[in-house]
Amino acid sequence: MSGAAVLTPSSAALVLFGTFFALMVVRVPVAFALGLACLPVLFIEPRLSPLMLFNETFKAYNSFILLAVPFFLLTANLMNIGGITDRLVRLSRTMVGHFPGALAQINVLLSVFFAGISGSSTADAASQSKIFIEAQVKEGYGLSFSIAITAVSAVLAVIIPPSILMIVWGGVISTSIGAMYLAGILPGLLIALAQMVTVHVYSKIYRYPVYPRATLKEFFVSAWQSLPALFTPFIIVGGILLGWFTATESAAIAVLYAAALSIFVYREMDLKHLYHAFSETGKLSAVALFCVGTASAFGWLLAYYQIPKALLENVASWHMGITGVGFFIAFVFLVVGCFLDAIPAIIIVGTILQPLAASVDMHPIHFAIISIVALAFGLVTPPYGLCLMISCAVAKVPLKFALKDTVIMLIPMLLMLAAIILWPEIPLILPKLIAPELLK
Amino acid sequence: MRRLIALCHRLLTWLMVGAVAVLIVPVTLQIVSRYTELIPSWIWTEELSRFLFIWMVMLGAMIGVREGTHFDVDVWPALSPRANALLKLVSSAAIFVFALVFIWWGIDFVRFGWDQSSELAELPMVYIFAAWPAAGLTWALFLGESFVDNLRIVAGKTPA
Repeated sequence: MSGAAVLTPSSAALVLFGTFFALMVVRVPVAFALGLACLPVLFIEPRLSPLMLFNETFKAYNSFILLAVPFFLLTANLMNIGGITDRLVRLSRTMVGHFPGALAQINVLLSVFFAGISGSSTADAASQSKIFIEAQVKEGYGLSFSIAITAVSAVLAVIIPPSILMIVWGGVISTSIGAMYLAGILPGLLIALAQMVTVHVYSKIYRYPVYPRATLKEFFVSAWQSLPALFTPFIIVGGILLGWFTATESAAIAVLYAAALSIFVYREMDLKHLYHAFSETGKLSAVALFCVGTASAFGWLLAYYQIPKALLENVASWHMGITGVGFFIAFVFLVVGCFLDAIPAIIIVGTILQPLAASVDMHPIHFAIISIVALAFGLVTPPYGLCLMISCAVAKVPLKFALKDTVIMLIPMLLMLAAIILWPEIPLILPKLIAPELLK
Repeated sequence: MRRLIALCHRLLTWLMVGAVAVLIVPVTLQIVSRYTELIPSWIWTEELSRFLFIWMVMLGAMIGVREGTHFDVDVWPALSPRANALLKLVSSAAIFVFALVFIWWGIDFVRFGWDQSSELAELPMVYIFAAWPAAGLTWALFLGESFVDNLRIVAGKTPA
């Protein structure tokens, strides 16, 4: 269809990316920069009109899949106001409080628990920044270290199931969400382990404080109290695997379950906080999702001029093996993740890379996990790393402030990503054992 | 005028909170209807939830412009308040262009939805498409307000 296009792919690419970057430099919000970048092309090309911008944004929002975004944010907000988070903090303390850098270890472990209930990293960063950053600084941890560990541990939320990114990935690239959920567990835990080791090393160097060891009784008491909350991931993942509900519906189940726990079990909910939870959820999910709409329009134009195809033609001639392709995919998503939020990145780039992954017979689940982990790291890489931006905003410092510690913490995480690329068994073993039929 | 804008902001926030609060209902009904006979399997629960969702996103995007919560990328070193305000003028001018596009072609878009109704519930699509020009209008309104503020800082009339 682009045979009669006025612009060549390369000139269209130049206009699209040129406008986008120019607008971004003058601090136009990314969502608007993406939409505005479409305009010159829409005016130049006689076959296109600005109405396309409306059709594409409408199509993007008119999607049942994306409903998971507000639901998982709401789950997180309900956890915070309903007392679930408090209990999980207590449980984490009894488990890792006696390690060096106790509070920072609790920070990481809480993110693991949190990741099992909510699938939103931005929600994790927003809520844990409020809990930990100030508290850690008070106990003598460095501010930059505190911001960085809160932000990097938040990325676990989209790797450990449930995960918004996996739901979107499943919707865009039709991959089994149940299988991705199972595949995400082990990589998520390994990355958490890498973070805890990092905290340990930091704590030895800077002599960060330790809490007295909790007794076994304390551990069992708080585990008992947290048990209903810890049960959530099993309900969600199990429900999807058994076909009880779809992935998006599972996000609604998470909301209902968190609400039920807050109202009936922990009894810590009131109307004022509930209103606040709704409003926070709406605001954060809407700005994130609005960007998905304009990114879809941008991605549609890239596809219209077959720009992705032109870019990939060169790559195919490199004749990379499966590992080479794995590293290439991770690299592309890491770079893209610096400039784009993860959901738009999946929409624009995920579909482009799929044929490349298929050409070397990479398993679709392996492809998905490599991409999602790389994109999750993109949530803390500047200049556009939402989790890092949120943590810095809570601490009221500019993004640059926490950059060095974030980069240091990313190194062991990147090693884990390399391990996931080199050994496909790391993501694939759990789905193989539990639900081999999903792997086909 | 400022009070009017603030009122508009509050109204939009309430509407958005309402949308978030109600959103869970159709999805829950959808799951329940699959397993019990209590509720007829209303096939438009899915459609209803999508339409509520669209309005929630658009309302949140409107509010985001006044609250300055749309994420941007900051590549500049620390700037003086005046340079900062100048940069804000440039970026809000760009968003203003986008708002005008949303109003101008948004009206076409709504007209296009005039004789369309939704697939399942046969709701007139105008109610959905109207969110786009509405967003354009509110953005223009909110931007006008911050434009005046930043202009005063650049002109040196108010110390930032």
